[in-house]
Amino acid sequence: MTIAVSTTPGQPAAADWVRRLPEYLAIWVPLLLSAAHLIAFTLWTIWISFTPSTLVPVSGWVGLRNYSSVAASRNWQIALDNLLLFGSAFVLLSLATGLILAILLDQRIRGENLLRSIFLYPLAVSFVVTGTVWSWLLNPGLGIQKLVRDLGWTSFRFDWLIDRDMAIWTIVIAAIWQSSGFAMALFLAGLRSVDADLIKAAQIDGAGPIRMYRRVILPTLWPITITVIVIQLQFAISTFDLVRALTNGGPGIATQLPALVVYDLMFQRSLLGRGAAAAVLMLLILLAVLLPYAAWRYVQRRRAIDA
Amino acid sequence: MPITTTRRRLLAGSAAALALPAFARAQGAIKPRLTAISQWSAGSDGAAITALGKKFEEKGGVWQHSPVPGFTTEMMNKLRAQIMAGDPPACSQLKGPEIAAWSKIAPTVDLDAVVAAAGYEKVVAPDLAKLHKPGGKWIALPLQIYSTNMLFLSKRAMDKAKADKIPVTWAEFNDLAEKMKAGGVPYPIANGGTRADDGQKFEAALAGISPTAYRAAIMNLDKKALEGPEIKAAFVQVRKIADWMDPNVGAQHFSTNLKRFVDGDMGMMIMGGWAQGVLRNAGFKFEDFIIAPGPSDNSKPVFLLNADAFIFWQRKEPDLQAGQTLMAQLVMDPAIQTMYSQITGSIPVRTDVDLSGEGWSDGQRRTAAALKDAIASNQAVLSLAHNMAQENGMTAAIIDVITEYVKNKTIKPEQAAIRLADAVESSR
Repeated sequence: MTIAVSTTPGQPAAADWVRRLPEYLAIWVPLLLSAAHLIAFTLWTIWISFTPSTLVPVSGWVGLRNYSSVAASRNWQIALDNLLLFGSAFVLLSLATGLILAILLDQRIRGENLLRSIFLYPLAVSFVVTGTVWSWLLNPGLGIQKLVRDLGWTSFRFDWLIDRDMAIWTIVIAAIWQSSGFAMALFLAGLRSVDADLIKAAQIDGAGPIRMYRRVILPTLWPITITVIVIQLQFAISTFDLVRALTNGGPGIATQLPALVVYDLMFQRSLLGRGAAAAVLMLLILLAVLLPYAAWRYVQRRRAIDA
Repeated sequence: MPITTTRRRLLAGSAAALALPAFARAQGAIKPRLTAISQWSAGSDGAAITALGKKFEEKGGVWQHSPVPGFTTEMMNKLRAQIMAGDPPACSQLKGPEIAAWSKIAPTVDLDAVVAAAGYEKVVAPDLAKLHKPGGKWIALPLQIYSTNMLFLSKRAMDKAKADKIPVTWAEFNDLAEKMKAGGVPYPIANGGTRADDGQKFEAALAGISPTAYRAAIMNLDKKALEGPEIKAAFVQVRKIADWMDPNVGAQHFSTNLKRFVDGDMGMMIMGGWAQGVLRNAGFKFEDFIIAPGPSDNSKPVFLLNADAFIFWQRKEPDLQAGQTLMAQLVMDPAIQTMYSQITGSIPVRTDVDLSGEGWSDGQRRTAAALKDAIASNQAVLSLAHNMAQENGMTAAIIDVITEYVKNKTIKPEQAAIRLADAVESSR
């Protein structure tokens, strides 16, 4: 004879609920608190962006003046151009690098674990460190250019860091180094979860490796690709510490990015209202990325339910 | 050490403080305590403020200094947070027009009585005094003075150029740079890559060309002066300087390259007097470099004034109030100013301090003499790059134009001058 511990007849359901109360508290209280923080501070920032606040927040109403002055400023225009270039280059290249690394690692090679750790390792390094190290490596007087020249190729040039047209690419390089391991890890997990029967069926049908990847395996990675793109994009939009350590917006103001402009306006120039306006504009850019993603997820889920 | 003077001054200070009821309560058996925030944590700056704290403790006070390392802005963020939380420090580092701006957001201490008791007003440069009493009352005290346009000459680079004459005008400066280049100095101008660094090149150029134009354009933001020929000439000079700089420095701090300067790979440096403290702190000798006033086309020294200061925030606690009085007295004390400046490489705020004695460098004596001459010929102006001439917002807008021009050699001087005027116009 067995006695069910939790559902003994006669015990009220309330007791069960009471026993599980700590679990509910542990989940819901922090969740609600962080949601409240997030929403409150977002609303607060939006409010500040319509006030004439400078050194400290003050009440008042200036309409869209903060927005128009941010939008008209040269720093913001440069930042937007850079974001477009950096965002697309970084996302596409890190995606491609991550995918290639994952496919190569997927060939059941020896030392896979070690290689995987090595590729993932940069993710464990803070962006400030990444930026600083790359600023040395890319510095023509100290890093790669000097190394190659010292080896004998005296006309070698790699001075992107100080070239105002190319400097933004140095940030792309460092960012890819940092995060393609992350894309690789996700892709690798996706590759490993592809149905073995599917692969066997394709092999029986006589598909070569390239054809198999193109027609059978890669299409199943589509959801992972979307996830990686969204995560990398929101990272690209909020990039701050990497640029600050690597170029600090320079040479001149050539590598400004929106997050740098926000910081600069709020804390360097003590223009809280304008800084908040720039921050809200950043939020809008982020929403422009996240809302289509949310919509796509919603459609996917509906399809899954319907199917 | 003139300890007797200090004691007498302290007595005078306490007598004056007793006249005020708020301070009267603070005196007595209470142990003066001071909460202070500054950005000075390391190097000669850190050493100097630590020494100041020791003196504070010697006088029976409790010294609670919280340094916020990094740039002034980081320190300001902490200050802002503390003020908004209703818990401002008893005193904090703040300077230039920011004193006036920040004094509007929280009540400050009226220091008039303490300042009068010390007879301080007579020994401070008038332009400087004005910044520290924005509403007509002293609320902040300058601590030390630097000139941002001192010219540092590397002895080894001078040897390479076979030159021994210190350049006085921009023409002589340019000649020497050419000679250095010909003599094998790869980069005749030492530099960092920060915004302030670029800003300093421009302010040195413009003030050296015409202090009058500098005052009108940069300090008073006069539209006509901003469109005047001197601005263009300054940009032309800055381009020359930029061509002699090492483009590889990226966003580095100037101090990163000091060794190359001493070694003679970089020839001349336009930098504030603080570089002397940094050089000495890094173990370099006075024999390695010469310090002279920056180039001035009318041959009379131009002094781009940069003064660090403390602002005092109102506190109700009697021990903090007593601490503020004690701190104010210490900051104004000639012996303390001497000690402080000797550590950092600055010059004292008090114009009556004698720099002929031991512990002062030739560079400091030249700086002090330059200040005296510049005040006499009305050529002491406030530094833009170090936030003395304008509030942060305006300064940043102007420096944007300058730093872009320094790094982007396709921008023509005329274009830069137009952009500068536009930037000022849109930031008013």
